[in-house]
Amino acid sequence: MTISYMNQREYIHLNWRAGFGAFPSLIAASKKLSRKNSINLLFEASKIIEPVQIDLSDFGDYFNTPYNKLKKNIGEEESRKLRQKSQKKVRELNFIWLNKIASSEQVLREKMTLFWANIFVCKDTHILHTLKFNNTLRTYALGNFVDFVKAISRSASMLKYLNNNRNFKKKPNENFARELMELFTLGIGNYSESDIREAARAFTGWSFKPNGEYVLRASKHDTDSKTFLGENGNFGGDDIIDIITKQRACAEFICTKVYRYFVNPTDDKDHIEELTAVFHKDYNIEQLMRYLFMTDWFYEEKNIGVKIKSPVELMVGMQKVIPSVFKKLNQVIYLQKMMGQTLLYPVNVAGWKGDRYWIDSNSLMFRLKLPALVFNNAKISLNPKGDFEATFNEFYKEKKQRFSVDDNERAYFETHYSKWSFNELSEILVVPRIDVDTSKMLKAYQSQNSFQYCIQLMSIPEYQLC
Amino acid sequence: MASSVVLVPSFMKAFESLDPRLFGYKKLVVIQLSGGNDGLNTLIPYRNDLYYSNRPGISIPKNRLIDMNGELGLNENLSPLKALYDKGYLSIINNVGYPNPNRSHFRSTDIWHTASNASEYLDSGWMGRYIDQYGKKPYTGIEVDDSLSLILKGRTINGVATKDAKKMFNNAKTPFFSKVLETQTETHLSEHNLGYLYKTMVGAKSSAKYIYETSKTSTSTKSYPNNPFAKQLKTTAEFINSKLETKVYYVSMGGFDTHANQANRQSRLLKTYSEAMDVFVKDLEASDSFKDTLIVTFSEFGRRVQQNAAGGTDHGAANNLFVIGKNLKKPGLYNDSPDLMNLDKNGDLKYTIDFRSVYATLLDQWLDASHSKVLGSSFETLDFI
Repeated sequence: MTISYMNQREYIHLNWRAGFGAFPSLIAASKKLSRKNSINLLFEASKIIEPVQIDLSDFGDYFNTPYNKLKKNIGEEESRKLRQKSQKKVRELNFIWLNKIASSEQVLREKMTLFWANIFVCKDTHILHTLKFNNTLRTYALGNFVDFVKAISRSASMLKYLNNNRNFKKKPNENFARELMELFTLGIGNYSESDIREAARAFTGWSFKPNGEYVLRASKHDTDSKTFLGENGNFGGDDIIDIITKQRACAEFICTKVYRYFVNPTDDKDHIEELTAVFHKDYNIEQLMRYLFMTDWFYEEKNIGVKIKSPVELMVGMQKVIPSVFKKLNQVIYLQKMMGQTLLYPVNVAGWKGDRYWIDSNSLMFRLKLPALVFNNAKISLNPKGDFEATFNEFYKEKKQRFSVDDNERAYFETHYSKWSFNELSEILVVPRIDVDTSKMLKAYQSQNSFQYCIQLMSIPEYQLC
Repeated sequence: MASSVVLVPSFMKAFESLDPRLFGYKKLVVIQLSGGNDGLNTLIPYRNDLYYSNRPGISIPKNRLIDMNGELGLNENLSPLKALYDKGYLSIINNVGYPNPNRSHFRSTDIWHTASNASEYLDSGWMGRYIDQYGKKPYTGIEVDDSLSLILKGRTINGVATKDAKKMFNNAKTPFFSKVLETQTETHLSEHNLGYLYKTMVGAKSSAKYIYETSKTSTSTKSYPNNPFAKQLKTTAEFINSKLETKVYYVSMGGFDTHANQANRQSRLLKTYSEAMDVFVKDLEASDSFKDTLIVTFSEFGRRVQQNAAGGTDHGAANNLFVIGKNLKKPGLYNDSPDLMNLDKNGDLKYTIDFRSVYATLLDQWLDASHSKVLGSSFETLDFI
């Protein structure tokens, strides 16, 4: 077998899909790498699991006492303050998470974590539970899918979000069982209403302690026989997950999501089928992703530069070129809100639909102006939507932001980008082939310095794609 | 005019030459009281002992409300609405909601915006789907804000958000943005997602230009209260009075999530709402647009019948909905008062009218549309217009 080296375009494509863009100095080095070696490097870098961290001091007994008991111990006012503090910390975690995505060496693991966060969609105001949930996503991101689903099903945040903490033998609550099948594993059409009821019974009594640890409340758990997807037994929750993942439909459901996220927003039945066959064998996520990145079709021209970047992909991609986007919490929340994707605050359990759903006249104009806004101190006086919980004055409060690039950030750019020619910069930063007319128009900007030229490159519609 | 010929590729010109008569003149303005307005303290069942026993701290006494029919009274802060009511311009529909009500702001707003069941997740809004099928231009639907809500997102066409047409126009004509479009020849616009982005850009710029140039001549002469909600309504009136081809408007007014110290807070909100609405209606009347405009006000949910420990109310279910217009079929109180004896297991009001029946009525009887095409299935229509 002859070893063929990756071409630059393939390398950039791989790094946009498996991460958030290709670093220029690595592109040069990559010219001596085979496809397999490049992929190995990505997986090697993501071997480590580095949990996201946040300062949780000064919470007193908040994390190990039930809320009602806490109110008795320290009073309603103090308890409420801690709860509000916890809520605020979730906002802070949004910022920490985004910074981690942009700066972590475990690029693929962070990309996968982001992907799974939009499959196992969850929202919580409890910071410790939210932190644990987020790190569960990170831990299993490249692991075994069956174990992953079992861990998610035991997480305090999910148990709360889908009301399983109120799922009791005497009064089953079907919310979790329904979404587990509809949105997390099988998809509509692969189970019946009766399967939902039986599965809900198997998860009765699954709950958690104040510190987020899973606990089975035996007295609330239904140990009787259940009939689920044609099988019969005294099933518990894990048995249900085992039976679900036995179904080929489950592997197909996840592989379809993987295909749309990592390959092309438009399905290719044969390619999804190919992935399904690989995944259904053992549900090894790492093997699935290795297989995917090794296929020839992944590198076909029709799959390159065709995906509309999510707001987070857009922001992280920019941050990697000029690291000034993620400086202040309020600014980062502002940008996410304006573009319709705020991490940790999904709109509903179905998650963000992605691709063209990111785009309308307003969001596109904002996205196209983003580089000028963030890097060129352009003024933009637009407000994101007020919160439901806000008072009238808070709801309408002006939240416009000013951004700036400081000397260090500018120096970072100069070090890493200024030595490249304008054509090279264009190839590094913009994945799809640039429209002929736009390309001509860009030539008019070539009298500028490379910093300004990069801002122009990031302002063309092509930069919205990866 | 010569410049616009250069700027607008021919596939966009098709958008611009539509005859307004094809769509009629009727306008719909939908207002959301965001956060969940407490309907029971908005329209008070003042003869009902259960109302007073459930709300010892926040109930509104008989002598502080505006009697409507000997049984229900309007919150005194809504006095301008009483004037509309007396003229037959107001219809209040009680107990509007849906089966298996969701008590999350996000989810319930989702449901109201998409017109879905509580158990399904749709990606498009009902007003957006109306644009898809009827107006077919982004500016068929305008949200008076800086970013677009799901309610105005269609399957193929989205509405436009703007609370300042000039600002949007200026944003869309920055040198670089214009340059990209000026140099575009439409032969390159065929690729899938990239073509979609270019087309959206062209549509955005063309909508911004159309909205700004059409509405800049219309400046309201009425004096609106000085607050951001009144400003939104003023802008809406300017758009409508300028004869913009826009058919549906959406405005959201925030602040209604009154978990604590509700009494004063809701009073101020209702006062702000009704005073602005009063001027808005007068403004439309002065331009003879009121007869062609229907204003519907809803909230994503009502609030719990029983007050909470903090002098407020928690998230509830069914709620009342206001319809304001000139030619209402059944002005006044459209249906029965809420039944406080027969609450759901959370202690919330049960719905008797599905909110999609309200939408169906608006679509069929006001917007000359076919509601099942927009809502995805058939609903019973009501008799208020």
